[in-house]
Formats: sequence, structure tokens, C-alpha cells
Amino acid sequence: MSDWTETYRPTTLSEVRGNNKARDNLEEWAKTWDDHREAVIVHGSPGVGKTSAAHALANDMGWPVMELNASDSRGADVIERVAGEASKSGTLTGGESGRRLVILDEADNFHGNADYGGSREVTRVVKEANQPVVLVANEFYDMSNSLRNACETIEFRDVSKRSIVPVLRDICRREGVEFEEEALEKIAESTSGDLRSAVNDLQAVAEEAERLTADDVVTSERDRTEGIFDFLDALIKEEDAEGALRASYDVDETPDELLNWIEDNVPKDYAGEELADAYGYLSNADRWLGRVRATQNYSFWRYATDNMTAGVAASRREEKGGWTRYGPPSYWSKLGRTKGTRNTRDAIAERIAEREGTSVATARREVLPYLSAMTHHCRNRDLTVRMAATYDLDESELSFVTGSGKDTNKVQSIVEDAEDLLEEEAVEHSGSAFFDAGDTDSSVGGEPDEGTESEAAQRDGQATLASTADGDESTSGTNAAAASDGTTDDDETGNRDETDDGQSGLNDFF
Amino acid sequence: MFKAIVSAETLTSALDSVSVLVDECKIHLEEDGLEIRAVDPANVGMVDLSLDAAAFESYEADGGLIGVDLSRLEDIAGMAESGQLIQLELDEETRKLHIQIDGLEYTLALIDPDSIRQEPDIPDLDLPAEVILEGKDVNRSVTAADMVSDHIALGVDEGEEFFYVDAEGDTDDVHLELTQEDLIDLQLGPAHSLFSLDYLKDMNKAIPSDTEVTLDLGEEFPVKIYFGFGEGQGQVTYMLAPRIQSD
Repeated sequence: MSDWTETYRPTTLSEVRGNNKARDNLEEWAKTWDDHREAVIVHGSPGVGKTSAAHALANDMGWPVMELNASDSRGADVIERVAGEASKSGTLTGGESGRRLVILDEADNFHGNADYGGSREVTRVVKEANQPVVLVANEFYDMSNSLRNACETIEFRDVSKRSIVPVLRDICRREGVEFEEEALEKIAESTSGDLRSAVNDLQAVAEEAERLTADDVVTSERDRTEGIFDFLDALIKEEDAEGALRASYDVDETPDELLNWIEDNVPKDYAGEELADAYGYLSNADRWLGRVRATQNYSFWRYATDNMTAGVAASRREEKGGWTRYGPPSYWSKLGRTKGTRNTRDAIAERIAEREGTSVATARREVLPYLSAMTHHCRNRDLTVRMAATYDLDESELSFVTGSGKDTNKVQSIVEDAEDLLEEEAVEHSGSAFFDAGDTDSSVGGEPDEGTESEAAQRDGQATLASTADGDESTSGTNAAAASDGTTDDDETGNRDETDDGQSGLNDFF
Repeated sequence: MFKAIVSAETLTSALDSVSVLVDECKIHLEEDGLEIRAVDPANVGMVDLSLDAAAFESYEADGGLIGVDLSRLEDIAGMAESGQLIQLELDEETRKLHIQIDGLEYTLALIDPDSIRQEPDIPDLDLPAEVILEGKDVNRSVTAADMVSDHIALGVDEGEEFFYVDAEGDTDDVHLELTQEDLIDLQLGPAHSLFSLDYLKDMNKAIPSDTEVTLDLGEEFPVKIYFGFGEGQGQVTYMLAPRIQSD
């Protein structure tokens, strides 16, 4: 049996039900197209007849149709080749004066990599089009601003029950199905504005029963996705704990995303203690999300969702009202904005970690802040120079640690001094490597570095280790240095700065 | 019922001329030959192909309709060396096409014809100018124009009596005039239209360079391009809608 939604698809605009005003606007747009030459966006909920109206319009106007919908691959190249060509060419029958209707269905939905660059290309096609273009979309605001501004807009509203019932009645008559008026009303009621679902439900029920009665209609409520903004409103202002949790079931976001949304918007309405409580629950939720990530056990998601929805709703202490401008989470854009800074920080932390034998995380969390405090604005110049020399910091990294401007003379002179210091040390240590044979201690002693006693001890042990590895107990410092040169950067033993002194000295001479 | 034996060249040139516009097509297996009609997804270019039963070594059919994936069928036909014969047989039960090339057997699953885009009605156009030229001149025009632009103007100068090709790029231009002597035949009439080079390039690929090509042109009207292949037993007609000349 064929699909009734196809069989009874309107063939002319006058058969399009509900939305009379939108329908007339669409017709008006088409008739005056030669004057304004603008594209139109037809938007509204699923199943209210947007695509049908566009096709019916083409049929009324006698225009051939070029349609691209979500089932086609819609990368930028396909859109350019197909929709672009169609919107710039005349027709096969009418030549250049012939009109063709270009319908881009689901213009708000371009999926990931497969449709890469699709939405940008659509904007271009719309702007360069020489033929009428209809963009069909569910969510008006999912389309880019430039696209929305380039087009006229026609909204299709949900079809009222009053308009759905006559359509169903008409179909029943034509299909020869006996029916009770109440049954049709019940179907119309349950589909809340979605005419296509109503027709589908009718067909499903009619296939089962000889005569349609209200009792046959048991179609339960359809799942509808709720917009994130409506959900935030419900969560933050209206619902109790249970209601908020239930509302979250209809939202089409993962808990990770949802957390970001809530976390960003809660402080717009909550204040004081209730806000503190809400954030308490949000942090619980975040910990559950962390557990999900760590264990890959996604059943923990439910606890995250419980916390972020019911918890936040339950934290509310007073009535909320009015309208709040909720916005999308800033988490990702913040990450994007701070990418450069974070990269600098990590680069420094990695060098500290390597030298001090800590993990990068520890270097970042427990070393870097102290360094920052000690060298704040390069106030302690000597220390800053030594730090720059030790960790081999350049201007931008030094400015990151100290908070001084990158281009200032101060920072630049410190970096220069640090380089001089390094060179000096290099000469000094190489001296010990070549002349002070066998005495690693003296080379360490010669290092103008206070506060590194423990390091010195380590380094001492280090040299011995290296020479042991070399299988030559009685070697001099030269050998030790040579051995350590052999293991440069190998770092297999995970030990710290292997004989940094011998290293740079040899490099300088070779 | 369908059973035919055809030379590899004839089959590939037939398939090539359709596959430049569409990926899938319906093939009518008529008693007196094959017929394919298809329009590209943008509804801008159309192809109408007929291959007479005489072009086949042997041919038997009774008016069936099959849907094929052209790139698959082309790949298979490409397995044959030049001069080899390809044997085609339709299995009505399983809706599969058995293809045999010198011992190599390939069973091709067919596509439900209903799932393929509708075939176009062939518009009845009255185009005033007719130009008959050699395939290599078409190739020369298209290749030259492609260096500077993405569209091309084809027209006939009634006063000076020549056919011209114009391509205007952002910086460079190409102009080619072909007079009565350069052409095989020229029927004068008012003609000037702009076309997408992407399409003409694709169509050009299917046009053999040593064949006679007829162009029917009008003013801001589609162009009709037809030529024969397979020793004159096959006929291809392309139609291409004009670009709208925006100001």
C-alpha cells in the first residue's frame, strides 16, 4: 500500500492546508519574483507542509523543479555544480526566459564532514542566483546570519487541529474508510500541529480497523525534540526537580554539551547561595562525566544528568520570572581563544618537567605559579635571568611567566643576559670537562646556581651512573661527559638533566 | 527478454555519452534497438541516445526497461580489449544482467527503474540556426574557452556569415570564427546564447573528433548538439539550457 502522505500530497497551492497566509505569501513571492529576484526561506516545524508547498508552487507556476535534499550528498562541490548551475541557467524548454524553481530542502541541516562547506556554498548560490530559490528549513536560526539576511522569510506555523480534521476526513472518504468524527479529532489532537504525522497515524490505524472509532486511536504521544532554549527556561525558572529531569529527556544534546549550556546560563538568573548550590551539583555532574570518560561506562550519564537538571532545579530558592537572554556555551570559544596562551604554557611546563623530573601536569600546577610569583614583572632581575637561562625561555614565554610585556626592553635584555649566562656557563663547564679531569664536583661547584644543592647531588650520582653504564669505573670527567654525550636526549632512565654541564660544553667545541 | 552481442567500442561510446550527465539511467530495450533518455540533476543538460539493432552483432529484445548504474557498467565494458565482443543477457527472474567478455562472466545487479529520476520529455524547439562542423573543431573551441572562463557564447553572425565562439574571462578573452569554408554546413539565423563550459566540456568528451557534429542554436535558447557514433548506427542528441546573462 502506498504512502498516503505521498498519495495525497497537494499538487497545487490551493490544496495546501493550514497556513493560508504563508501560502499566499509564497505565491505572492513567486509572482513578483521578476521584480525583486530574492530567494525565500520557508521555515516551520516538521510535517506542516513546507516542501509540499514549494513543489505545489512550482506546479502552479509551471516551473520545472530542481531539488536537493538531505538524502543527497551536499558537499560544497555538489551544491556548486548542481544548485549553482541550476540557479544560473535557463530551462531546456524555455531557454533563458524560462524559470526554474530551485528547492534546497533542509537548508538548516548540513552534516559534518560529508557536507563540508555546504552552508557557505548555499549562501553563495543564493546570492548569485538568477532563478527563484526556495530554502526549506526547520530551524530558522540554525542558518547563518548572512544567509538569513539575503532572503525573504515565510514562516509556516503548526497546523491547527481545526485544519487537520478536514484533511483526514477527506482522505477517509477517498479511501473509502468509515470513521467516527471523534477518532479523527483524537488523531489530530495527538499529533499537535504535524499534518504529515496525522496522515501517517490515520493510515496506520485505518489499515488495522474496518471502521475507525475513537478506541482504535491509541497512538501515543510522539517524541518531539524540545529546543535547548525552552529547556533552559523550564529548568531555570519553572520546573521542579522531577519536571526538569523529564524535560531533559526531550532535549537533543549529550550530557557533556548540556552541562556547558546549563553552566553558562544558570548565573544569569540564580544568585547567592542558590547559585553556589547549583554549581555544587554541576560540579558533581562534571565528576560523573569524568568517570564516564575514564571508565567508558556510559550508564553513569544518568547520574550526571540527574545532578545537572534535578540538582539545579532543586537549588532554586525563589520564584524566577521574566525573559532571560540565554546564550550558547562559551566553553568552546574560550578554548579557541586561549589556545595560543595554553600552548605557550604547556611548552614551558614541558621544559620545566623535563629538567625537574616532574610530570608536565605538576610542572604546570605546582612549579609554574611559584615561578610566576617569584619573577612577577621581572622584579627580581637576577632570578629572572637565571630562570630564563635554565628553562631556555624566549621573549614570549618569559612575558607569559612574568606578566611583563613581550616587546619591552626589560624582557628583551633579560633574554639576552640569559643567553650570555648560558654561554658563560658552557665555557666554564667545558673547561672542567677538559682540564679538571675526574672532578665532577668542581664543575658543579662552579655553577652560579644557589638553591640547587639537591640537584648537584643528583648530578653527581648522575655522572657515576653514566660512567657505570659505560662500564668504566675509573673514568675521568671527560669520559663521563663523553658517555653522557652518547646518551644525549635519550633519557631512558627518566632521570633529570643529564650532566647538563658536560653536554653543552662539548657541543660548543664540536 | 533481452540478449545482445556488441563490440566493446560501440558499447563504451554509448555509455560514455550518457555517463557525462548522470550516474544512473534507464535503458529501454526496444525491438529495434536501445534507447536512453536522461537529464542531469540540475535539470540543465539532457541526453537522448538511440543505438540501432544494426549496430549489434546480434540483438533480441521485446521492449523491456532496466535501470543501471552507469559507472559499474562502464568499468565492466572497460575490461574488454578493443575489437572484443561483449555479450549481454538479461535474467528476468533475478533482475540481473549477465555480461560475458571472452570467458569473463560478470553478473550486474540492476537498479529499480522507479528509483531513477524521471526521464525528461524532449522539448520541441524551433532553433533558427544550424551549424555542422567536425568534432575536432568543437574540441578546439571548448578547450580554448576553458583556459579563460567558465562559460562560453555560441552564435552566428548573419551579416558576415560565420559561426563564432566567444569566451570572456576576468583578464583574458578567446574568440574563434569559423566561416562557411571551415564548416561543413551553415544555415544562417539569429543566434547567440551563453552556456556553461562545465557541461560542454563533459559533452565534448563524448564527441569523437572525426565525426560530424550538428549544433542547433537560437537566441538565448538551449543548444541542441547531435552526432552519430558506432558507424552511424547510433545517434546522440544533447540539449543544454543557456546560462542567464546577468548584467
